[in-house]
Amino acid sequence: MTRSGDSASSFVLLELGTHRFALPANTIVELAPPVHLHWFPHTSTIVCGVIVRRSRIVPVYDASPILGGRRSNAHRFYLIGRRGLGKTSELSAIPVDGECELVNGELQPRTPEDPAYVTGRVAVGEDFVSVLDFESLVSHEEPSSENRNPAVPS
Amino acid sequence: MRTTVHEVARTYGRRPEQVIFFIISNQAFAIAADAVKEIRSTDGLAGAVAECESPEVPKVHHFIERTNQPYYVVNGCEHFHLAVTRPSLALVLRQFRVALLVDSVERIGEIRAVYPLPLAFSGEERIWYRGLAYVEDRITPVIQPAGFLSREQLDHLDRLALRSNRSQLVEGAVPA
Repeated sequence: MTRSGDSASSFVLLELGTHRFALPANTIVELAPPVHLHWFPHTSTIVCGVIVRRSRIVPVYDASPILGGRRSNAHRFYLIGRRGLGKTSELSAIPVDGECELVNGELQPRTPEDPAYVTGRVAVGEDFVSVLDFESLVSHEEPSSENRNPAVPS
Repeated sequence: MRTTVHEVARTYGRRPEQVIFFIISNQAFAIAADAVKEIRSTDGLAGAVAECESPEVPKVHHFIERTNQPYYVVNGCEHFHLAVTRPSLALVLRQFRVALLVDSVERIGEIRAVYPLPLAFSGEERIWYRGLAYVEDRITPVIQPAGFLSREQLDHLDRLALRSNRSQLVEGAVPA
């Protein structure tokens, strides 16, 4: 992960599916190296398995189908954040391609057309990148519910 | 840096226990050894089973009598929504009237701990599993024996089994 400055409004840029997105840097714990993705039968939408990281079992969410991409087995790294779950929280991971970048910028307001999991936009060069709300994203239902026991990832 | 089984066990602070590792549709599962009363081959059960079909509990097709009580034969593939395979063994549970059909038993061994299922898992798996085991670099779900049949399903199946037993008695009755 590359760093291009320090500010209270820092964002981690990442590629999910075929698009670039941003997550607030303060929600990210680490970018984990490639580790084995363990799968077992379950019925939870968008959870694609677990990884073992720093002696913890961390669930992995594959948000690509929600964000317009396709489910991919080619991810090599895991972006780990902390997800609030009522009064508790747990570490949660998203598979990424490894090309993450830390950028600073001001959070611009979201547009009415943006889905609920987009909290706003941040300027990156001449583009605007959607800033994701991790909690809304992982609790969002997939357009297709054909996710029951997806194929075992390689 | 690779995380070891010992480090994970220390993190969660749990105690070791004996489990049976078994396979259903190419997926490994573990169940506490003391939760299993018998391991029988399906061939051995063939003569002892009675039919018990209901659309309300599609994972059960048969029951067997054990200590004058019906034990319901749960198809593991259907319970876990896995591709259907041909089971060769039945794990007869100790505290629940369930005989689970499995493809094979992999081994009996010790796990250092059962780790809680992450809260991200919010579906049926919260009923299916007690938690997760981390053994030999593999995460294996540890079965919750109470999770195969609900109280309502058991009551429903008991009524069917009773009806089935009565009809067998009537069929087997010798006319005066």
